Amino acid sequence: MNKTLVSFLVFVVGLAVFHNAIFPIFTPKEVGWFLNRYVYFLLFVAYLIITHFILRLKPPISMMGLFVWGIGFYFYKFVLYPPIPWTLFITYMVMWSIGTFLYISQDPETFREFRKPIVKAIVGEYKLAQIVLMIAMPILVGWATYQSIYPSFQEPVELRTVHPAPPATTKVHGKTYPLESTNNPFRVDEQDNYKDSFPFLDADKHEYMKYVTEGGTIFFQNCHFCHGDQLNGLGMFSHVFNPTPANFIDPGTIAMLQEAFIFWRVSKGGPGLPNESTPWSSAMPPWEEHLKTEEIWKVILFEYWYTGWHPRTFGTEGSEG
Amino acid sequence: MTNNNYIKRLILSFLAMAMIMLPGTALAAGVPDPINKDMLESGKKVYFKRCVWCHGVEGGGDGPAADRLFTRPRNFIQGTFKIRWTDSGELPLDINLINTVKNGLQGSAMPAWGEFLSKDEILSVVQFVKSLVQDRDFSDEDEEVNNVITGVDADLGDSGKGPLGDPPWAETKGPYHLGIPQEHVDAGKELFMKNKCWECHGGEGRGDGNPTMKDDWGFPIVAANWQQCWNHRGARRDVYNPFVIARAISTGLNGTPMPNFREQLTGPERWQVAAFVNSLCPRKKIDALTLKPIPDFLIQSVYTEGQVVPKIDDPSWQSSDTDDRIVSATEELKENPKRHHIAMAGQITRGKRNFDPKADNLWVTTRWSAEEQAVYYLVEYDQRFMSADPEYPDAVAIQWPAKLQDLFGAEKPYFIYGDSKKPVDIWKASFMAKDYSATNAPNEKGYQLDMSVKEFVGNGFDALSDKESEAKVEIVDSIYHQGRVKVMFKRSLKTEGEFDVQIPSEQFIPVSFFQWSGRDKEHDEHMAISTWYYTILKPALPASLYYMPPIIAAVFICFQGWLVWMTKRTRKMYDEGKMRRDELPK
Repeated sequence: MNKTLVSFLVFVVGLAVFHNAIFPIFTPKEVGWFLNRYVYFLLFVAYLIITHFILRLKPPISMMGLFVWGIGFYFYKFVLYPPIPWTLFITYMVMWSIGTFLYISQDPETFREFRKPIVKAIVGEYKLAQIVLMIAMPILVGWATYQSIYPSFQEPVELRTVHPAPPATTKVHGKTYPLESTNNPFRVDEQDNYKDSFPFLDADKHEYMKYVTEGGTIFFQNCHFCHGDQLNGLGMFSHVFNPTPANFIDPGTIAMLQEAFIFWRVSKGGPGLPNESTPWSSAMPPWEEHLKTEEIWKVILFEYWYTGWHPRTFGTEGSEG
Repeated sequence: MTNNNYIKRLILSFLAMAMIMLPGTALAAGVPDPINKDMLESGKKVYFKRCVWCHGVEGGGDGPAADRLFTRPRNFIQGTFKIRWTDSGELPLDINLINTVKNGLQGSAMPAWGEFLSKDEILSVVQFVKSLVQDRDFSDEDEEVNNVITGVDADLGDSGKGPLGDPPWAETKGPYHLGIPQEHVDAGKELFMKNKCWECHGGEGRGDGNPTMKDDWGFPIVAANWQQCWNHRGARRDVYNPFVIARAISTGLNGTPMPNFREQLTGPERWQVAAFVNSLCPRKKIDALTLKPIPDFLIQSVYTEGQVVPKIDDPSWQSSDTDDRIVSATEELKENPKRHHIAMAGQITRGKRNFDPKADNLWVTTRWSAEEQAVYYLVEYDQRFMSADPEYPDAVAIQWPAKLQDLFGAEKPYFIYGDSKKPVDIWKASFMAKDYSATNAPNEKGYQLDMSVKEFVGNGFDALSDKESEAKVEIVDSIYHQGRVKVMFKRSLKTEGEFDVQIPSEQFIPVSFFQWSGRDKEHDEHMAISTWYYTILKPALPASLYYMPPIIAAVFICFQGWLVWMTKRTRKMYDEGKMRRDELPK
């Protein structure tokens, strides 16, 4: 049997088997030190080398080049995780292609061997290949030109700042609050003591749970439309807005902010954002128009209790600062 | 150990049920899944942290959120559940409730908890919810449940009343469930006419049939809009699956006026009605998290040779609601403008807030003409019922930055009525349907609209003023047809007014939309809003599109000829010994 064909089959069938049967085994939900996608990839490469060695296969250099290129493509497209954006993918593949070319042209012999079929097609020794190439290539080029001239429009990309710089003070309902030193007046106890307490049921037993219940009530009358019943920013109206509402479950939002910062954001909303780094385009209402000061504080208390996050503190007790 | 006992009991009861069913002749019904008392304590914990806010302390559907929600949260006390596999009026199976909690109820405030709560938490909260049912008892021996969908627990005798069974077509394709043979869709349409589904759901299924319906608790309720299947409560995150409809027809929706149709329709016929209903829903890419169609953030206005035909019915304005990346557009629609999907929400930011907007989305199609120097925007939306009160007309508006030339980069005015530094230009069309009554039977011709247009300048939420200059925006055509409002705006690209937006071509222009439902007395800031979108007046196709590709191809052919000539020449030179080949190492 033709050894080139055997080599080709080893590659193609091997890849199919590895990708469909073995890859799922190596991508479990819990990634282990052995059961992970990169070990899988190394195993696949090892399989190729070992089978070629044992079967003493020596495919022509153009096919070897194809294998090397294909392995790179497979890695960047399917193995590498998380998936990379296509612009990056193209950059990587350009570099990988250059590498493959270097591999092919490593010495004059391999390079000549690689060139041989190409030259034969050009001068017409492979008549059919020549005809197909000479007709197909100009059509392809013409088509690509058409595609590139055809006007197409993508919505403009808008960059934005995620966390605005807070002001030193904020004035809500006629009272000025310095953001550095204002604490939530309803945080009357350590939050973790109430992990297994219930709103409504324990509202009469603990002052803390009374405030949480009141804060939750306000949240579910006003805020859940955008920030969601799960506080994950996926409320009924969330899909309408751009940027989308904040996700409080995410460690990048309330978990890394001071309560006073949130007090300022809730009170002033989108219109109260500082001028620098505009446009903000935030749909967040200025809640001071609808809620009393203590209601805002209670909502904030509730958000931390519900998500289990602790507000960031700047002070002697805080080490994060 | 109690747990072990429970499992034993469960297995025994299954065996017993299987024994009863084996003969298959008797009309045997199952009993409800009893409450698992061991799970109540943990279920209560979940309930009082996650569910109580909407469903209330006693499960009466009266939590703090309830009054601002339409549809209201479920009242558990009567044991009335909409999405089930069991017969009308019967209690649900555990699996039904579990699926509801897991996948949420689309188009309502009930989110999908499947990724948020653990499996055990979901199982236990379902048991707790069952314990909140007061008027009925899951362990009552007189309670019957007949599984009319899969028929696992019951044999309902003759085929008309039997389980739903498999659809009469082979599999559907992909996440959009395409490929149901047209004959089934057509048969479904006939059954839809015959069974008078339109009495509630309207002539084209937009839920515009009956304005007077109430649910079991006396709250107003509307029929589902089949053209927005992503809002079907029982969609289970598989929006386009016809099973959703087939199940609703088979079981009815408890607590609502929706009956089951098992007397009237056999299993395969129910599937055919489902096929028809399903075919009405436009295929859009659905966001996996919000479960709504992904909005088309760029509204592309198509360049029109000569003049635009200002008629909604004209072929040049026809387009499909379906995304052409999912089902490619037919040949005659290919050059037409796309219908862009605009997501709408209630205005809950300033002044009188709107927590229950009646329009979930708008569709916008647009053309412009260089010859006329004018742009046309066709705005459409589904509205079940129109206003009958001239004090509260229906209305829809387009908002633009009034001083586009002064905006820098991505800067935009505030999205509700602009701000003090960046004014907005608002084109508002207000209208009443002529000779219309909400209780009319479906009218194929539709209703003409009594139209008035006004232009406003917005300089902030509380600084909205009538433009003093004469209105330059025209409504060139409009109609209210089978539950859909269609309004075509026209304006010249350039106008005189100080606060008129001057519309350039080939430039991204921010644009947003407002909508008022007169029947719900929406007016002023009590409205539905969108965020800022972009629109662009696309240029005519460049002439170079037709001559450049052949030129480049010809150049490439020359290059190929040169390459062949060069290669042959080099060969010849080698052969004649004029040049030496690169030598290989020995």
